Amino acid sequence: MKAAVSSGQAPGTASTMTAVVAKDLGLAWAIRQGTPVVALEGVSCAFAPGEVTAIIGPSGCGKSTLLQIVRGFLEPSTGSIAYLGPDGSAGAAPSMATVWQSFNLFPWLTVEENVGFGLELAGVAKPDRQLRVREALAAVDLAGFESKLPRQLSGGMRQRVGLARALVMNPDVLLLDEPFGALDAQTRLVLQEQLARLVESTRKTAILVTHSIEEAILLADKVLVMTARPGRIAAEIAVDIPRPRGHATTGRAEYVALFEQIYGLLRDEVERAMRSEGN
Amino acid sequence: MADGTLERAARAENAASSAPMRLAGTGPKDARWMGWVAVAVVLGLWELGCWLGNINSLYLPRPSQIVASMVKLFVAENLVLDLGWTLWRIFAGCAIGVVAGILMGVWMATSPRVAAIADVFIAALYPLPKVTLIPLLVIWLGTGGPFMLTISALGAFFPVVINTLLGVRQCDPGLVLAARDLGANQRQIVRRVLIPSAVPSIFAGVRLGLGVSIILVVAAEMVVGRTGLGARLFLAGQVLNTEDVFAVLVVLATLGIVVTKLQDMVDERLARWRPN
Repeated sequence: MKAAVSSGQAPGTASTMTAVVAKDLGLAWAIRQGTPVVALEGVSCAFAPGEVTAIIGPSGCGKSTLLQIVRGFLEPSTGSIAYLGPDGSAGAAPSMATVWQSFNLFPWLTVEENVGFGLELAGVAKPDRQLRVREALAAVDLAGFESKLPRQLSGGMRQRVGLARALVMNPDVLLLDEPFGALDAQTRLVLQEQLARLVESTRKTAILVTHSIEEAILLADKVLVMTARPGRIAAEIAVDIPRPRGHATTGRAEYVALFEQIYGLLRDEVERAMRSEGN
Repeated sequence: MADGTLERAARAENAASSAPMRLAGTGPKDARWMGWVAVAVVLGLWELGCWLGNINSLYLPRPSQIVASMVKLFVAENLVLDLGWTLWRIFAGCAIGVVAGILMGVWMATSPRVAAIADVFIAALYPLPKVTLIPLLVIWLGTGGPFMLTISALGAFFPVVINTLLGVRQCDPGLVLAARDLGANQRQIVRRVLIPSAVPSIFAGVRLGLGVSIILVVAAEMVVGRTGLGARLFLAGQVLNTEDVFAVLVVLATLGIVVTKLQDMVDERLARWRPN
């Protein structure tokens, strides 16, 4: 993952400067018997333009649910999402694209067709589409794999296709839903570093949902630690470690301090989640 | 000692992993000639047995007589026209049934209301042997082309509807979300995700449906047809022309082989959908 994906749109336009602000979000699932399950409660946070925010928390805390609400695929029971322009007035909804934990590539389409899917739906003409798809594939080091089918690729390569498919849309906000959760530990390490570089070079607004403290610190400018269900924001931690960050960063004193701080917060929550699962 | 054990284990593992490959790879190619040899042996014994046992060809004609009869049917008695009629009825009717079945299946899969209504009718009609509809359809449509195409389409329709419905319902919800995320509207999700993801299942339905269409067309031709392989078969049987009966059966069996092989070829092209 070398260069930035070239954009159809210059950086710094109105929509890319828009912040996504969640105000007092709550979500309760109605269930057949008993009290509704409260997935999220009173979640307020802001995703600033050009900033990478990691959301970390125990399993089932509603991290992915929060992401789906931000994306507009889930309607919150309470609260709302607002888009704020640089002057604080209401802005237009920014464009978004998601990278999924389970890749969600279309198995009957080639790599090129998968990456070009969104552009094709948007009516981008074939020559232009081909150009942009090739650029995006080159950015994730997958040049030459255009005509392969997803099943012919390894897990790490599949997720790079997933990343290219989102990046090629040149979204204002990139949503990463546990993007490396389904990969083995080594592939994960390498891809984390590559994604860190890619994120640094594009300066894109990104929201990363993850289980991994390391991933959160390496990639994010800000880490939101969530509580066990019902999910709330327990802490907002700024990551001030200079970029570029890579595996070497994990040896630095600031990194270790941050890791311990986040781990301390999470351990209590994970234990609480485990206790409530037990009853 | 330890090396020996390891080596043996490795050898065993190699043997275990290469055995299925040999079965799947070179096996059928090597064994294919055996099938043809077996057919030749059976035909030879049949010919010889009839000849030695002096069996009346009214009951069991010799293979050579059947071949002669087949040549006569094709050269002098225009059997190729009947073959053409039968093929037309099977494939045109089946095509209508397949298209209607896919549309209905997708409609049911995407609308709970349509599914609820259609489900009752399909549950009632699907298990009904479609040959039992022949008398009713003859009353409504006569015995001509519309009747033949209808009965053929009916045969293909139900398996295709049911398989399309199942295929679309089994679509990975993650793929639908991914398409939505990339800007697909409801229509595009149906056309670009739900239907393509159901293709293997739809094709399984087409396979079943084509089989039913073949049965129904030949049966309908036997009952009411004046043209077609079924009609020729029935007429030959009525006048005790056993050679002709066998000749038409051989044509039908050959048709079955060709259809099966064609379907296998399509199946191979569906490898795209196979997860690994």
